[in-house]
Amino acid sequence: MTGTLIVNNLAGLLIVTSLMVIGAKRPTSSALLYALQSLVLVAIFLALAVTKQAEELYLWSITSLVTKVVLVPYVMYRALGSLRDPEADGSILSMPWMMLAAAITVLASFLVLDSVRLPAITDLKPALGVSLAHFFLGLLCIVTQRNILKQIFGYCLMENGAHLTLALMAYKAPELVEIGIATDSIFAVVIMTLIARKIHRTLNTLNVNQLTALKG
Amino acid sequence: MTSSELLVTLLSVPLACSLFAFATRWAGDAARQLATAAHLFSIVVVGGLALLAASKVLLGTPLIAGNHWLYIDSLGAIFLGLVGVVGCLTGVYSIGYMSHELEHGEIDTATLCNYYGFFNLFLFTMLLAVTANNLIMMWVAVEATTLGSTFLVGLYGQRSSLEAAWKYIIICTVGVAFGLYGTVLIYSNAASVMSQPEGAIFWTVVLENAKSLDPTLVHLSFVFALIGFGTKAGLFPMHAWLPDAHSEAPSPTSALLSAVLLNCALLIIIRYYILVSKAIGPAFPQTLLMVLGILSIAVAAFFIIVQRDMKRLLAYSSVENMGLIALSLGIGGPLGVLAALFHTINHSLAKALLFCGSGNILIKYGTRDLDAVKGVLKVAPITGILITAGALALGGLPPFNVFVSEFFVITAGIKAGHPVLMIICLLLLTVVLAGLVRMVASTVFGPSPEAVQKGELGALTLLPMAVLLVLMLVMGTCVPQSVRQLVAHATSVVLNSDEQPDTQMALPWQSPEQGKKDEKAEVSAASAPVAAGI
Repeated sequence: MTGTLIVNNLAGLLIVTSLMVIGAKRPTSSALLYALQSLVLVAIFLALAVTKQAEELYLWSITSLVTKVVLVPYVMYRALGSLRDPEADGSILSMPWMMLAAAITVLASFLVLDSVRLPAITDLKPALGVSLAHFFLGLLCIVTQRNILKQIFGYCLMENGAHLTLALMAYKAPELVEIGIATDSIFAVVIMTLIARKIHRTLNTLNVNQLTALKG
Repeated sequence: MTSSELLVTLLSVPLACSLFAFATRWAGDAARQLATAAHLFSIVVVGGLALLAASKVLLGTPLIAGNHWLYIDSLGAIFLGLVGVVGCLTGVYSIGYMSHELEHGEIDTATLCNYYGFFNLFLFTMLLAVTANNLIMMWVAVEATTLGSTFLVGLYGQRSSLEAAWKYIIICTVGVAFGLYGTVLIYSNAASVMSQPEGAIFWTVVLENAKSLDPTLVHLSFVFALIGFGTKAGLFPMHAWLPDAHSEAPSPTSALLSAVLLNCALLIIIRYYILVSKAIGPAFPQTLLMVLGILSIAVAAFFIIVQRDMKRLLAYSSVENMGLIALSLGIGGPLGVLAALFHTINHSLAKALLFCGSGNILIKYGTRDLDAVKGVLKVAPITGILITAGALALGGLPPFNVFVSEFFVITAGIKAGHPVLMIICLLLLTVVLAGLVRMVASTVFGPSPEAVQKGELGALTLLPMAVLLVLMLVMGTCVPQSVRQLVAHATSVVLNSDEQPDTQMALPWQSPEQGKKDEKAEVSAASAPVAAGI
């Protein structure tokens, strides 16, 4: 019982860390906070592995530790650290509104999951709700932030949410599948980072409102 | 060659050639030749093996390989064949087009090597998407298609192409992430109700157990899957990336994106449609597909009629045709599904032809602006004729293939009791035809500008287009028996019934009886055992 309690509480902590990632002023601090969040995710995987006696999840936590706590944040820290565009900072939603939106998302996710009757996840429903909410919080970040670097972090948040859902509901899937998903998401972040750098170099902006050459 | 050897070769050749092409940038002066040779080898092998695999499926049972991870039934064989044929033809076109870009300083040799590398990587990911049987691997492959093609979209590195690449990767990765949720919901749902949960990852196994899935979760997962893979298939309202990416990519890539990539996502949607229809009945998925389909046609039709940019016009036409396919799937029944599959093939051929044609115009005139491009017929007569034929075909004029499948769609709709919807659909298709005719009238005819040098670009940029036009004529006048059989089998896969659809396959100008008679004559002539029952 305590195991599931730990999982559910750690899942709550994910939402807090993702608000910090969204709120951070500089891309470097966002990258560090993202590493912190991934560490929480790894802790959840470990707690789940113990609770459910799922050997597979130990492996998941190791791969996530390597890729999400070390590799991806390092790449982003190095590649995005030098990019600056003060005009791009800012969001359609201010931080208090963002927090309110996060709370509403979590609540809505809990309501949606209320009718699901899968025996395997009954006691982990709060964590599942958080994972779904986390996914939509990432989407909210992409939609509301003007800075394209923040959009990359938004994608990372979505990906962490989806990863948690996967760990809760599909940890028995073959190992190759998890490797495939992890590889995809690493490459997605790397490619987004490369294109963001190219955009900054060529267009001298990080503001998504400046990307309006194509219309109609 | 056994089926698993065949599939492994089919997948590994483009991947290996892609890596080789990336590596040739360090080969100094030989880089261009080496990369081109690897590319040519890869597309020929892909084209040949894809057709071989499709014919094996047609003559026998579905191919299964790699511990059930890879699976090709007759439905998959259609899409695999399209990847092979269109991939090979646009690959040949690429050689002509890109060497022109290189010689005129639009790109450098390293970019050319990267282009061939990414082109083949993109082919590999699409082949993986259409052959995957593992549900999560399907998702991984679709996501990988985005990653493989982003650099192709942004290849020229200009303001607009970078913007298009950014929108493409953000919208598609976010959209496809929804697809992951749909996938996970189906998988964990199946794993918890099946006696042997390790089989729950395979589409074929889940399909056998579809009846025991939880209905609420199945509803949810179809919505997620439709949003996710529908983004990639270019359905309204998730189509925002499509006109930008299609118009900014190099023309052969535009052809590949429009004629093949959209179909790969469509195949995954059809796979989910089959699962969900078996689990909760077809009404729910059909309604969603019909709504998205007709909205896609309507929105695209109005963008087509006001469009001033040739490639954006063609891109919106892709949205329109994907909408028409979704609408036809939504109409359902043997005829609706059959029409949808035929239209998928026909749209691919037509759109590949037109995007290649737009590439020739872009090189000749240096612009895609319909107000600036005049007199193609005088500047490059063969390109002009091919584009005119292609555009009229795409607009749905006989004797070309698109007319036949659009006719099937409308017939299916009327038979299924949607006369009002079909009238609206016909009106919208007329708007689209008007848009395409306007495009042809303003570009192909008229006086040619003084500044544009006369003459064609060379055989490599014309031959693939001519082959496509011949294929379109064949598909429009006398559909080959093998294609008919494949589509009929695939229809029964989609309907999940053992009985072959009662599709007389009469072409619009034949009476149904005549069609049946032809069919019988051909069936008795064919020695294949599978021919029985059509």
